[in-house]
Amino acid sequence: MPMVLLECDKDIPERQKHIYLKAPDEDTREYLPIANAATIPGTLSERGCAFCGAKLVIGGVLKDTIQMIHGPLGCAYDTWHTKRYPTDNGHFNMKYVWSTDMKESHIVFGGEKRLEQSMNEAFDEMPDIKRMIVYTTCPTALIGDDIKAVAKKVMKERPDVDIFTVECPGFSGVSQSKGHHVLNIGWINEKVETLEKEITSEYTMNFIGDFNIQGDTQLLQTYWDKLGIQVVAHFTGNGTYDDLRCMHQAKLNVVNCARSSGYIANELKKRYGIPRLDIDSWGFSYMAEGIRKICAFFGIEERGEALIAEEEAKWKPKLDWYKERLQGKKMAIWTGGPRLWHWTKSVEDDLGIQVVAMSSKFGHEEDFEKVIARGREGTYYIDDGNELEFFEIIDLVKPDVIFTGPRVGELVKKLHIPYVNGHGYHNGPYMGFEGFVNLARDTYNAVYNPLRHLAAVDIRDKAQSTPVIMREAA
Amino acid sequence: MLEDKLEDVFSYTEERCLWQFFSRTWDRTENIHGVVDQATALLTGKPPKRDTPMERLHYADGRTMADDLRERYPWVREAGEEEITQVMESLKARLLDTTIARSTNRELNHHLY
Repeated sequence: MPMVLLECDKDIPERQKHIYLKAPDEDTREYLPIANAATIPGTLSERGCAFCGAKLVIGGVLKDTIQMIHGPLGCAYDTWHTKRYPTDNGHFNMKYVWSTDMKESHIVFGGEKRLEQSMNEAFDEMPDIKRMIVYTTCPTALIGDDIKAVAKKVMKERPDVDIFTVECPGFSGVSQSKGHHVLNIGWINEKVETLEKEITSEYTMNFIGDFNIQGDTQLLQTYWDKLGIQVVAHFTGNGTYDDLRCMHQAKLNVVNCARSSGYIANELKKRYGIPRLDIDSWGFSYMAEGIRKICAFFGIEERGEALIAEEEAKWKPKLDWYKERLQGKKMAIWTGGPRLWHWTKSVEDDLGIQVVAMSSKFGHEEDFEKVIARGREGTYYIDDGNELEFFEIIDLVKPDVIFTGPRVGELVKKLHIPYVNGHGYHNGPYMGFEGFVNLARDTYNAVYNPLRHLAAVDIRDKAQSTPVIMREAA
Repeated sequence: MLEDKLEDVFSYTEERCLWQFFSRTWDRTENIHGVVDQATALLTGKPPKRDTPMERLHYADGRTMADDLRERYPWVREAGEEEITQVMESLKARLLDTTIARSTNRELNHHLY
């Protein structure tokens, strides 16, 4: 089956290179969607900007760091509070937002003084906080403000603070993905190996590419504690600035989100010889496999088997209850990139769900190699999908539930198709054994929610009857 | 018969193994040789190498692979050393072809990460 030109794309035929329908006996040597390419004019992309990739996805997760956004107010507000990554210190990162609030006069006369003043004000207002990341945005990059020089000056005047700069304006890449890259490479170049922490276990690792969405990191940390493994740094869920400076001390890099954070794992391997182990943290089968691999690396296989047995005994009966009721349901996944390949087989194997369409906002061709290898035949694989394409795909595959973000989610709700928040979750965490039961529960509640059927009834029309939905209590 | 067995192990690898899809050609080459060699050793009763960090990494992936192949495919449990080695060497060749030689991924050979 060749690449697909949807009816809605007939005026932008270039989109055909971005949409693939998998057929038997084909593989990615023949058909691989073009990805991480500039959005085609005429298509209404769902993508975010490069600055957003650095700040919202990675830097803004840290629990002890001021996130100073050098730009107009909107850049700060629109990357704050829209993703749920709590912390164990009272959610410092979600309570506050910092901006230099650039106005026209600063654009005309330069914003460096404004930035210096804002940095000092922030440190003065929050005397317990000694770490800061400063981000450029489109306007401050265009006028050439030298944020590194300002950071250096502030650090010289305040010897107890440490500041990292991210020069990644929104226009610097085709999507969020560029921001991930800039932050990863900047951090390894400037901050790793600038601090040493106490090592308390012979088994040490960095856990990379997990952002503590609704407590994912904290749930997984209970596993590492039971296994006796010290996590030197979480990149960046519930993480601290200083722990990330010590990443060179770990013996193993365990990578979950290879798209946002694979770069730093690759560099840690290249520069320090620390191996990179990629795992999937969503799903029973995958989580057990990940634990087995980590334990095999350290030679503590028995501990791993004991942990898996304990967790499965506790959570498997609950998972099976949902599996029985979700068997054969059809799911679409329209998220960033990696969750396509993390989830397509885990929901199929653990819950009996068929994934019938997947769309990635910022995945690269590597992500499509992974997902097409794992995904079903007869499933659509879409790069940088737009709204009209979503409508057409929905008609073609008729999903029972869509895992996506709130923007697209509100769109599909109007079609009376339930969505589950695939970015920030509905009621997470979703990682680990307990987490996947949460995902199953939210999927069940979405699929069997009577409201979406009731919403389709026009009560002014006497001929329409209210549907009766049977649903068992969980 | 070899083709059928190769298809079995290739299908399994496609479905489960992220290590074949690392970022660059040299990472993929290293992983494909490292992990498949460790799995082959385990499936043929030889002691796997676990001296260096990379050997331990490939052992961790290779052990899972060997265990899964034994569980999924009865012929793996019954096959002799020569047959296992032949199938696994063919798997390596197919993976190198699919994920590197004929991959259209435009980032595979970029000299930077």
